[in-house]
Amino acid sequence: MTAAAAPVNVATPVASEAERRAHRSARIRGIVIAALGVIAFGLAVNTLGGDVTFKFWLQQQGKAFAQVDTSPGELWILTGLATGFTGLWQLWRGAAVRWRLWLVLWLPFWVVATMGTLLDRQTAVLTNLFSSTLEYAFPISMGAFAALISERSGMFDIAVEGQMLVGAAAASIAGSMALQWLGPDAGAIAGPVIGPAAAALSGMGIGLLMAWLAIRYHVDQIISGTVVNFGALGLTNFLYLRVLQTYTDYNTPPTIEKIQIPLLADIPVLGPIFFQGTPYMYIGWVVMLVLTYFIFRTRWGLRLRASGEYPQAAATVGINVIRIRYRAMILAGAIAGFAGSYLSLHSAGSFQMNMSAGKGWIAIAAMIFGAWNPIGAFGAALVFGFADAAQQLLSELGVTIPPQFLASVPYLLTVVVVAGVVGRVRGPAQAGQPYEQG
Amino acid sequence: MIPILAVISAFIVGSVFLIFTDIPALQQLFGGQPLGFLGTALGNVVKAYTALLTGSLGDPSRYADALRLGTPDAWATAVRPLSETLVAATPLIFTGLAIAVSFRSGVFNIGGDGQFVLGALGATATALLMRGLPAPLILVAALAAGIVFGAAWGFIPGFLKARTGAHEVITTIMLNYVALQIVQLSLRTDFMRPPTGSEPISKVIDFVRVPALLPLPGLRLHWGFVVALVVAALVSYFMFRTTKGFELRTAGLNMTAARYAGMSAGGSIVLAMVVSGALAGLGGAFQVLGTVTQMSNDIDAGYGWTAIALALLGGTRPGGVVVAALLFGALNNGGHEMQIETSIPLDLLVFIQALVIMFVAAPDLVRKIYRLRARGTEPGTPAEEGAAA
Amino acid sequence: MRLELREITKQFPGVLANDRISIAADRGKVLGLLGENGAGKTTLMNILSGLYRPDSGEILIDGQAREFRDPSEAIGAGIGMVHQHFMLVPVFDVVESVALGAEPVTGAVRTFDRVTARKRVVELSTQYGLDVNPDARIEDLPVGVRQRVEILKALYRKSDILVLDEPSAVLTPGETEELFGIIRGLAAGGTTVIFITHKLNEVLEVADTITVLRRGRVAGTVLPSQTSREELANLMVGRDVELTVARGPSHPKDVVLELRDVFVRNDRGEMAVKGASLEVRAGEIVAVAGVQGNGQTELVEAITGLRHLDAGHIKIGGALVDEAKPRKVADLGVAHIPEDRMRDGLVKAMTVSENYILDSYHRSPYSSGGRFDRDAIAREAQKGVQEFDIRTPSIETHVGSLSGGNQQKVIVAREFSRPVRLVVASQPTRGLDVGSIEYIHKRIIEQRDAGAAILIVSTELDEVLALGDRVAVMFSGQIVGVLPSEQATKEAVGMLMGGVH
Repeated sequence: MTAAAAPVNVATPVASEAERRAHRSARIRGIVIAALGVIAFGLAVNTLGGDVTFKFWLQQQGKAFAQVDTSPGELWILTGLATGFTGLWQLWRGAAVRWRLWLVLWLPFWVVATMGTLLDRQTAVLTNLFSSTLEYAFPISMGAFAALISERSGMFDIAVEGQMLVGAAAASIAGSMALQWLGPDAGAIAGPVIGPAAAALSGMGIGLLMAWLAIRYHVDQIISGTVVNFGALGLTNFLYLRVLQTYTDYNTPPTIEKIQIPLLADIPVLGPIFFQGTPYMYIGWVVMLVLTYFIFRTRWGLRLRASGEYPQAAATVGINVIRIRYRAMILAGAIAGFAGSYLSLHSAGSFQMNMSAGKGWIAIAAMIFGAWNPIGAFGAALVFGFADAAQQLLSELGVTIPPQFLASVPYLLTVVVVAGVVGRVRGPAQAGQPYEQG
Repeated sequence: MIPILAVISAFIVGSVFLIFTDIPALQQLFGGQPLGFLGTALGNVVKAYTALLTGSLGDPSRYADALRLGTPDAWATAVRPLSETLVAATPLIFTGLAIAVSFRSGVFNIGGDGQFVLGALGATATALLMRGLPAPLILVAALAAGIVFGAAWGFIPGFLKARTGAHEVITTIMLNYVALQIVQLSLRTDFMRPPTGSEPISKVIDFVRVPALLPLPGLRLHWGFVVALVVAALVSYFMFRTTKGFELRTAGLNMTAARYAGMSAGGSIVLAMVVSGALAGLGGAFQVLGTVTQMSNDIDAGYGWTAIALALLGGTRPGGVVVAALLFGALNNGGHEMQIETSIPLDLLVFIQALVIMFVAAPDLVRKIYRLRARGTEPGTPAEEGAAA
Repeated sequence: MRLELREITKQFPGVLANDRISIAADRGKVLGLLGENGAGKTTLMNILSGLYRPDSGEILIDGQAREFRDPSEAIGAGIGMVHQHFMLVPVFDVVESVALGAEPVTGAVRTFDRVTARKRVVELSTQYGLDVNPDARIEDLPVGVRQRVEILKALYRKSDILVLDEPSAVLTPGETEELFGIIRGLAAGGTTVIFITHKLNEVLEVADTITVLRRGRVAGTVLPSQTSREELANLMVGRDVELTVARGPSHPKDVVLELRDVFVRNDRGEMAVKGASLEVRAGEIVAVAGVQGNGQTELVEAITGLRHLDAGHIKIGGALVDEAKPRKVADLGVAHIPEDRMRDGLVKAMTVSENYILDSYHRSPYSSGGRFDRDAIAREAQKGVQEFDIRTPSIETHVGSLSGGNQQKVIVAREFSRPVRLVVASQPTRGLDVGSIEYIHKRIIEQRDAGAAILIVSTELDEVLALGDRVAVMFSGQIVGVLPSEQATKEAVGMLMGGVH
């Protein structure tokens, strides 16, 4: 056997150092979580007197509802129980605990209890909170899908922001033109299709440009991404100020309306949250599932991942790495551009300057957070979307915490994850590395 | 050669966009007057670029007036565009140098924006804190605070990369956004906010001011520009004549060889990011102390991003960065004149700047367009072959 | 299938990598392709596998001329490659790795049919005795098993012609024997095997015919039964294999380098050096032999302060350096000639003079108070260039544009420009021309005679035997034997290298 293959414990004085380290960090983690549990109980003592009402729409907004009356104190007690249990479990079972999974158990309690405390003596409609979480998460998750497709193929795509912005502008202009040329009736039907299609096309164009620059002209992918972000901002601002601001007809697209899914929309509580949204929301779910299947279960996905992990290996078995990367960049561009159409067709009803406002970067954060996995990225987008929605809910109810705190959360979390402070995630090995066909 | 051609190409592409967004002209075209369209559209392009030129360098007739009259006011009027160009170039020199240092050191600092705004914020806060003390003292302290804040914001991603390998592109970008949030938050505090008004701007700190450079009335050009040139020279000296600069350049070109030569890889990364952040922060401090006298939400104006273009355009050499910054300063400043005279949005120049980066980063593309002969080697050089055999 | 290459020529800028090479291999036979580094073997194989296209010449399979525009066409023609550096995606499992590029699919969206692929992998591994767990991740597998996966990849594609590029480079002797068994089995089953190596014994053991390449040309084609090691060696190198170096007897004095039960991990966290102990005295050369990957790299990195010591002690000149950083080690008078000069020893895009001061830049006379003295640097670099006969247009030339020999001379000149007490040289002559090899050997011996202790690590047995006053052999992370030069015969050292002790 070679040295590399030799069992590690052959006469080694420090045989299980990695194991010992894992045990120690598991113990520390257990102590920290348990301590958090104690803190939660402490908070409960301080907030027992209050009360808060959570309201859920059963059918449609403003009609029948169910409500939960509780108090911050009760919420903190639950939080303390969940957190304390997790901590003790961690201490007892040590390194065997899959602690990231356990986060799902106790961390939401903290969120709910914190909101309960902030909303003391108020009524919060959680149905709306959740449905707007989903809406806010849409552009982030789609941007993350775009970024992860390109990174899986071995290309950095830091241009999601720019692609979204151009997509938003393209969607608005194309939708408006459809309205102008086809007339209000046909345009209102065609616009919601033509707008997003134009957005996707513009994103594809940018993706193609970036791939071409990187592959054909060896431009560093971070540079080309910067070019796109910077150029997209300049170009769309320019278009807005020179054309759209004056000729507002070209910036008045038909908006995309919410659709109720028959039957499902009538499910109490769940209906208003999941099945009364815009088509975008449903498309988001579908893309997530399709993408997961395609990346991990199909030939395309296998080859895509091989191109990102070890392009030379892919090339030696006759896979055309260059073509895969081109296609991935174009597909990613389409998705990012399409996500941009949401901004101008749904939220605003028109294109505004710099309307992506950093969503493309949060999308990249979500991709990293979700470990380059569509479902993970979607989950991360939900977390970030929740931060947005919660912030809005709180400010509507007059709770004044500076929005900057919550707005910083995705960025700070990303720094923490990238730095590996809380469990590092691993991306495709060769992402961003140029590949030369022999 | 390549940088010049890149700039020319960018302007040509920019003109195309100008022409095809010229709605009145396009209406002529669709109205069946293709020649009229061409005339109007090209005329507008020429008008725009002329305004850009006079807006950045000055109007010859004004210079003639100044020579004839010789009064300070006439001179001030004539020189104002040039002065404003240098004012616009000043922050660009600082951030361009910041990014050039990081690129040379093999670190991709995309966080120039965040370091710049925090430098500006630090300078503003220091000035407000020290209000009432002698102005020169405040000035020095505020500039130092700019350096410290910028350096600190550069230190974080540098440290994280050195310690944990966290990719600096991701961390610096994320920290840009965090920095903007910090600025917004601080602009809401009573300490920073003017007593009246809800705009995201700070109190005016005109009690401390970087002295004006020219003894002419109403010109904003200040000593910060001269300091920027001196700093460029210092950076050049640091990178090419000192051992620390040598370590940074070595790390930038071959991290393994640097380690083998006994240099500290982590130390180089941190130092590069700290120097880079300090330069950007100093730029922010001069911007607020010399040019705008007030901290605001949008003080950065994308300098950190432009800086990437400058670093590339200037070949990551300090001298080259200064030239590139002067060019971009002229564009930004002339753009204002263009916007006023022809109502063509200034943002066209942001787009043109992006095109410049693209062309500079793809020299082969430029060579192909202009049919220049390639200098580089072909793939499969003997060295690679030997390694593969 | 019968494979024939006729008059294959491939020119790279400055190098004629393949010059009218003709080889032939019959069905069910093993062709051994023997050659040194740079003989053109890899280029030839890249042509055969469709990665490169020849400038002229043709490839015939069963007498029919074929042209491969990309690897998939070569694969389609039945050619399977096992590359020296395994072409396996670390995060894939065995089934995915084997099937990649030839995946069975089902349905309209071409779902990867893992069940079918897995069944085939299991069938093939049983049929050919290639024991592999189909569900294991590649990165968790030892090297020997990864090679089996590579062979499975070729078999999976129904390759009738199997090309193995230096397959034993990373294998232990036991694994190599197993590999030979597999090769014989494949040949017996009708597969044509081309076995590329630079190891004489291996071709003699496994090949039916041997074609020797030298400097891009065919130096001869022989049958194993009608040739000898000596003849093969002569064909391969074109000179006597015996590398002779004029060196007088050594006069060892005090111990300069002392290793005591040293344990070091490699990059993957595995223990690569497992209790190595060794002494090197002033005025002697200790040459460490061993097959690549037996812990030599890690050991050298530990000595020079580049790698953390897991246990044990290292002393240089009596000073304990267990925790020392590279700079501290260099300050003790250690000259280090690193294993991979372009990666570790030089900065390509810097000038000769900058590279000359790369690890002494912080010292007088090059700098003082953190500032460079450019005149002193130019003066010293010029001196080094002259003294070591470095062929360069000027000291301001980028080192990347020099030849390999001159690059190595820059390193040697730099390392010997400081006061030297201990020389640690890893693969000091790898890939160099004969003239440069002799020159560098001469310089190393001069250092010995001047009283320095020398530690040379080389995978070239010739070099080890020619230079070593004592020869230490490293195997599986341990120093398994130290022989004085008179006892260090090829056979004795070779046995130790193969783990026979």
